[in-house]
Amino acid sequence: MNVRRILAIARKELIQVRRDPRSLAIALLLPLMQMFLLGYGISLDITNIPTCVYDQEASQHSQALLARFKASRYFGIVKSVWDYGALRRALDAGDCQLGIVVPWNFSLRLSTDGKSSVQALVDATNDNTATLAAGYAQSVVSAYAADDLELRFTGTGRRLGAPQPLAVDSRVWFNEDLASRDFIIPGLVAMIMALVGALLTSLTLSREWERGTMELLISTPVTSMELMIGKLLPYFAIGMADAAFCVALAVGWFGVPFRGQLVTLFLTTLLFLAVVLGIGYAISAAIRSQIGASQVALLLTMLPTAMLSGFSFPIDQMPAVIRAITYVVYSRYYVTIVKAVFLKGSGLAQLALPIAGLLIYAVVITFVAARAFRKSLG
Amino acid sequence: MNGQIVAENLVKRFGEFVAVDGVSFSVSRGEIMGFIGPNGAGKSTIIRIFCGLLRPSSGVARVAGIDVARDPEAVRQRIGYMSQKFSLYSDLTAEENLRFFARIYRVPRAELDARIQRAVDMAGLAGHTQALVATLAGGWKQRLALGCAILHKPAILFLDEPTSGVDPQARRRFWELIHATAAQGVTVLVSTHYMDEAEYCNRIALINQGRLVAVGSASELRRNPRLGDLLLVECADLGRALAALRGAPGVREAAVFGNTLHVSVADKARALAELPPFLRGKGIQPHRIVPIEPTLEDSFVELVGQAAKSEAHA
Amino acid sequence: MLERIFALLVKEFLQMKRDRTARFRLLVPPILQLIIFGYAATFEVFGVSTVVLDQDHSQESRQLLACFTSSGRFQVAQVADSRREVRHALDVGAATLALVIQPGFAQLLQKGQSAPLQVLVDGTNSNTALIALGYVGQIASGYAQDYASTLAQRRGLMQQQAPPQITLEQRYWYNENLNSRWFFVPGVVATLTMFMVVNLTSFAIVREREVGTLEQIMVTPVRPLEFILGKTVPFFLIGFTEVALITAVALLWFQVPFRGSPLTMVLGASLFLLSALGLGILVSTICRTQQQAFATNFFVLNPLFTLSGFAFPISSMPQALQWVTLIDPLRYFLIVVRGSFLKGIGVSYLWPQLAAMAAIGVVLLGLSALRLQKSID
Repeated sequence: MNVRRILAIARKELIQVRRDPRSLAIALLLPLMQMFLLGYGISLDITNIPTCVYDQEASQHSQALLARFKASRYFGIVKSVWDYGALRRALDAGDCQLGIVVPWNFSLRLSTDGKSSVQALVDATNDNTATLAAGYAQSVVSAYAADDLELRFTGTGRRLGAPQPLAVDSRVWFNEDLASRDFIIPGLVAMIMALVGALLTSLTLSREWERGTMELLISTPVTSMELMIGKLLPYFAIGMADAAFCVALAVGWFGVPFRGQLVTLFLTTLLFLAVVLGIGYAISAAIRSQIGASQVALLLTMLPTAMLSGFSFPIDQMPAVIRAITYVVYSRYYVTIVKAVFLKGSGLAQLALPIAGLLIYAVVITFVAARAFRKSLG
Repeated sequence: MNGQIVAENLVKRFGEFVAVDGVSFSVSRGEIMGFIGPNGAGKSTIIRIFCGLLRPSSGVARVAGIDVARDPEAVRQRIGYMSQKFSLYSDLTAEENLRFFARIYRVPRAELDARIQRAVDMAGLAGHTQALVATLAGGWKQRLALGCAILHKPAILFLDEPTSGVDPQARRRFWELIHATAAQGVTVLVSTHYMDEAEYCNRIALINQGRLVAVGSASELRRNPRLGDLLLVECADLGRALAALRGAPGVREAAVFGNTLHVSVADKARALAELPPFLRGKGIQPHRIVPIEPTLEDSFVELVGQAAKSEAHA
Repeated sequence: MLERIFALLVKEFLQMKRDRTARFRLLVPPILQLIIFGYAATFEVFGVSTVVLDQDHSQESRQLLACFTSSGRFQVAQVADSRREVRHALDVGAATLALVIQPGFAQLLQKGQSAPLQVLVDGTNSNTALIALGYVGQIASGYAQDYASTLAQRRGLMQQQAPPQITLEQRYWYNENLNSRWFFVPGVVATLTMFMVVNLTSFAIVREREVGTLEQIMVTPVRPLEFILGKTVPFFLIGFTEVALITAVALLWFQVPFRGSPLTMVLGASLFLLSALGLGILVSTICRTQQQAFATNFFVLNPLFTLSGFAFPISSMPQALQWVTLIDPLRYFLIVVRGSFLKGIGVSYLWPQLAAMAAIGVVLLGLSALRLQKSID
């Protein structure tokens, strides 16, 4: 293997990328666009859920309870209704996603039975937001029951009831604000790497086939291995630069905490890039038309990474069959690593398993890519 | 067979289609061998086999004594190639292309600049080296491609229709370059479909439908005994004249050439005497009937027709 | 004129029939997306892997933990003996949630005081964490209420002296079982159709320009309007078929209910397709080669998809982005589709969305028709 030849090919590739507007767009614009689009667009946190209130009792107590909802940042009271029909219409039309109904005998039952209830009608079209909304509503109600009621009852001279038996003391680790952004954005880095890496390299061989320059190239003494290394070197550089850019954005702009070591991230990203570039190269070797190669690249990177890598949907909640499939999704390992490095501060030791997964993938892919390209026309 | 480029019963099949059908020839050192034939004759296929781009279905292809099928990489070190479709990098400058190929061929660093300069001079590209290749005119591109092919001083050159789509002046200039290169001892195999370029080669191989129809120097091929004597007939209504002459006594073959007819006859003198009245008898007034020297094209047409006929009989 | 349009239509269908990549593009993505969104995509939390540390070893502590395990929401991955083990389990991701009961738990309860239940949750996936915490809250309050009543009974206390209980009755409308599938699969109807129609339309026109046949057609008596119709009608029909097919799969295979009016769906789909077609044609007027079309499609469709509310609620986006979504036809069609499937509402509720799609469609088609006319002339 000749280093001069490899460098010659790398140099040529870099010149071509610099002069190709499409490649530049993918290398520079795409990461930027994706970071901002998905960084801001994807949020599972809900604030200001449009809420309707139907206060059948309209008493001091009911107003106190509803005031808590008003004060909570999770709920935004959009209107008060005076009958179920209006509430239903509001939910149907989507004017509100949650309806809180305080029954006419709310306070009465409290003073006689010590028990009362409040109804929450939740638009469950989006089951996730519904679950979260219900959870928040529950916490508002529980807090009211715990704090407010005692004060009021003491105020009217009743005997203080016993305190709540169970006090749940919850601590959140690694992502104390429970901001979905903090867990989505590290995964986003993986997503962008996969996309950029595969899209760029999937064109590299197909472009030469289509333009006819491949024929001349393979009539020269350059070997398949030299060709592969030479062609992939610039994309390694571009990939790492993009990764650094995304990480900088994540920490500097979006304020995602970074608790791990940069070295860990650097080494694992290098490994991940090897896999991604290998896949792109193999696609490019197999499909000799640029448009076909880019479509396959998109299919093999975007879809699995977006859906099955744990970037958006948690893998451990997927049905067993699909979970098994995710072991083949290369980005799954990297997403785990990136999230752990950002939020948990994990080091190479703790990440041994996913790193092993990536390593195996890298070896297999290098083998496949090297054999995929043949120095022959037929 | 000996020689720098040797083919022994070379066959190449693409599925059912036989592109190269048992071709044998040899080219000696310093010789310029021209491949002539119509499109689809198999010229490019043969060249690609020699460059190791295609594997022969059967037969042997040898370059500098090396069997191409067995050791293509060793062959690639020693050859330079110009493909039919322009295949330099149009988004790189001329100099970037030269530098790239120089490095690929491992031209010693000390000589890099000198050789690139020489290629630039030879191609007449001085002052245009920083231009993107896409912006260069056809003839310049061809010369640049040749320049890239000889940077590493190969012993053998394969040029596949290097002058197609180039104006006649540029073509002439290109052939001067080929001659200069061959004069330095390089063996050149060129393919072309311009008959007049055949005259520039030392030897010519006529190829048609994957088969070698004839091999020899230009003058040898022109002196086709079967052609006999050739007469040029000028008249109105070529179509009717052609039909009439084909059936005329003493006429071997007749074909249209431009706005005249070339008629191949057994006996020149007799034909000159008998044909004019024959034609007038058919209502055709000949303006002129004169004997001419057969060209390579005449020979080729005859040879190809002969090959077709013998195939029909076989 | 009709004859010429018909001839164009026939040509278009023939080309499509013979184009193998088009067939690939028509079949594979829908099937893949349906599988993924039907089965893999879910925000539901079915089981939270939990590590428990019971340092009290009392009847009460065991009862409390039993409440969690029997709920079916929590899977005990590990029973720890020390805090260090708990910490380790969370660090390496062996468990997402930790329940820690300290010594003296039962004593506090029996004395009628508040006993702490410590919950540590891995917030790496905040969504799962929040949902898990919600479950914890529910189970904890259930246990607390039971315990309080039992304690009161045992002591013969009056109900008034027991701590006040307020239960929140949750009624889930439209998607009673909180089935993620019911949320995603109807959405797939909309998003797939958009991708398909925009891609097909833009590629078809750009290919003609690339290959040179566009020039050829311009030389014939075909008029620009006829050309546009000839290009758009086939893809309109295909888009419609796509909507119908995926709806059928949603209904028959995934058993998502359809409670609305088919006519509203048809109307919504038609208006949506207008926008999609307009977008496809507009893209084709900007691009000269298929590669450019591919890249442009990607850069345009990606944001439209992400911001449409398909997976992530628009109301959670920053205000500026929410305004941007107002020009996204997919946003409106998603409301129509989900409204028709799950909510059972009709035109009376959905007319704003239909109107928005109509407006966007008219603008896009108008723009693209103008540009196409100019390039043909």
